[in-house]
Amino acid sequence: MNDAAMLGAAHLHLSRQGRALLDDVSLELPRRGAVALVGPNGAGKSTLMQVLAGQLAPDSGGVTLQGRPLKALDVRARAQRLGYMPQRFEPHWDVTLLDLVQMRLADPARAAQVLAEADLQALGERRWSTLSGGERARGMLAAVLATDPPVLLADEPGAALDVQHRLALVQALARRGRERLVVVVMHDLDLAFECFDRVVVLHAGRVAMDGAPADLLHAPQLDAVFGVHFERIAVAPNTLLRARSLTSKDKP
Amino acid sequence: MNPSGKMWCLALGALALAVVLGICAGHQWAAPAEIWQAITERDTLRSRLLWEWRMPRVLAAACVGALLGLSGAVFQGVFRNPLAEPYLLGASGGAALGATIALLVPLGLPQSWLLPLMAFAGAWGATILVLGVARVAGALDASGMLLAGVAMAAMLGAIRSFLMLALSDETVSLQVVMSWVLGGIQTPTWSGLGWLALITLACLAATQTLARGLDLLGLGDATAQSFGLDVARFVPRAVLLGSLVVAAAVAYGGLVAFVGLAAPHIARWWVGPRHRWVLPASALAGALVVTVADAIARSVLPPAEVPLGLITAVAGGPFFIVLLARRLRAYGGRA
Repeated sequence: MNDAAMLGAAHLHLSRQGRALLDDVSLELPRRGAVALVGPNGAGKSTLMQVLAGQLAPDSGGVTLQGRPLKALDVRARAQRLGYMPQRFEPHWDVTLLDLVQMRLADPARAAQVLAEADLQALGERRWSTLSGGERARGMLAAVLATDPPVLLADEPGAALDVQHRLALVQALARRGRERLVVVVMHDLDLAFECFDRVVVLHAGRVAMDGAPADLLHAPQLDAVFGVHFERIAVAPNTLLRARSLTSKDKP
Repeated sequence: MNPSGKMWCLALGALALAVVLGICAGHQWAAPAEIWQAITERDTLRSRLLWEWRMPRVLAAACVGALLGLSGAVFQGVFRNPLAEPYLLGASGGAALGATIALLVPLGLPQSWLLPLMAFAGAWGATILVLGVARVAGALDASGMLLAGVAMAAMLGAIRSFLMLALSDETVSLQVVMSWVLGGIQTPTWSGLGWLALITLACLAATQTLARGLDLLGLGDATAQSFGLDVARFVPRAVLLGSLVVAAAVAYGGLVAFVGLAAPHIARWWVGPRHRWVLPASALAGALVVTVADAIARSVLPPAEVPLGLITAVAGGPFFIVLLARRLRAYGGRA
């Protein structure tokens, strides 16, 4: 493993009821950079995120954080180093945003400062049920990042957001990638290829493609993985993907 | 929302008022001046009765209520379910079995301490058994424990019924068992009350150590874990401590229904969802409810005493229905 790797996965295997969710997945993720994890439904993106976050133990293989096996770190130490934003988050009790940030911090007195830095101080006393989807996403991100973890793993953080809030959130995550490691599961391929430094494409539990967006965008394998024929539309300085038709094997 | 000192003072004042009214209430009403006389002089039979019987009884009711409220808050926090109550993991079945053995099996030991001891052992033992079964079954999560608790309660209930049928040769024995099961504060001596107060304060302090973990659990397992809570270790620890609290309550007050369910709700309406405040506020609410209910139980059918559990169940039943209706409305059919 590369000494410079912040987060590493080596030969991860995970099966449930005879179905391989992760099949020999290996990754090396650097100390800084914005990495998008994409793939069709059921490719294993969320499972991989849970394994990388230490929420799920693989059947074999292992995850390392800063060169140390993740499972050797206790939960508290892991929480300090890894920020994990799950796909769905709905608290059982109607806490305020300030409560949420305080729960993340060892020193709750810093919570107000964290909210101020995220420009969310006006929402601090608002209960979760009264926040909009965009406010919830921003609030949750502020809570996860309150300890300034060197690694952020976010599982479809913009899934429930409108286009404006989704773009703002993705851009904020990509900006963080200049200083820290950010890994984000995404379904929006255009944003993934436009905003991130590196794209990892998962298919059937395996890493199908891994590289810089410009290197992957024109590869025919991308069409095969998603089961569609993409039209590449040049909109300077980017190239947009538009699904034109299903590949023959997936036609109804 | 952090409740202000003024609000705590008001709540403590309400409890003090309830305690005074509780001491006044009974099949013979006592004036507040008589309470003062009982504390300072105790020169008449009436003042001695107030001092030796009614006062410790009312203060014990407040302590039992506090313990029930506290354990209810722990269990609702662990199971993240507002309909959870402290008897969920077989504590009631275990306590009832322990009390049945103490009342019906001639063990040759004084019942005054055998009954609370057996009830305590039954309540806590049943919960430990539930945790053990869940661990063996590989389901030491909240839903696994819940299912094991339901199975355990059914088994313990069957054993208790068998013992009642096999060992009771006098109708009065069955009455005594039923009366205990329906809940009722045992009047302690002043030294016994001192122990109960000490246990209550210790439980209050011990459960405070769970406050941050219960807050984090409320965010869901994945987020709790990612915020630094070892969920797999915390849940059994919280359940064991919560069960210890409810076992102490059961030992002194029998099976008092609905207080453990209602008190945390009253507390959350008052102080919000953070357990740092919910736990002491639940204890206060539980103490207030049981003190008032016990006063009613002693006053409503003089000179007889209605089992405390009947009073709390009659008042708590409608409360539960309202709670269920609110939840159904809020979650579109998912109770």
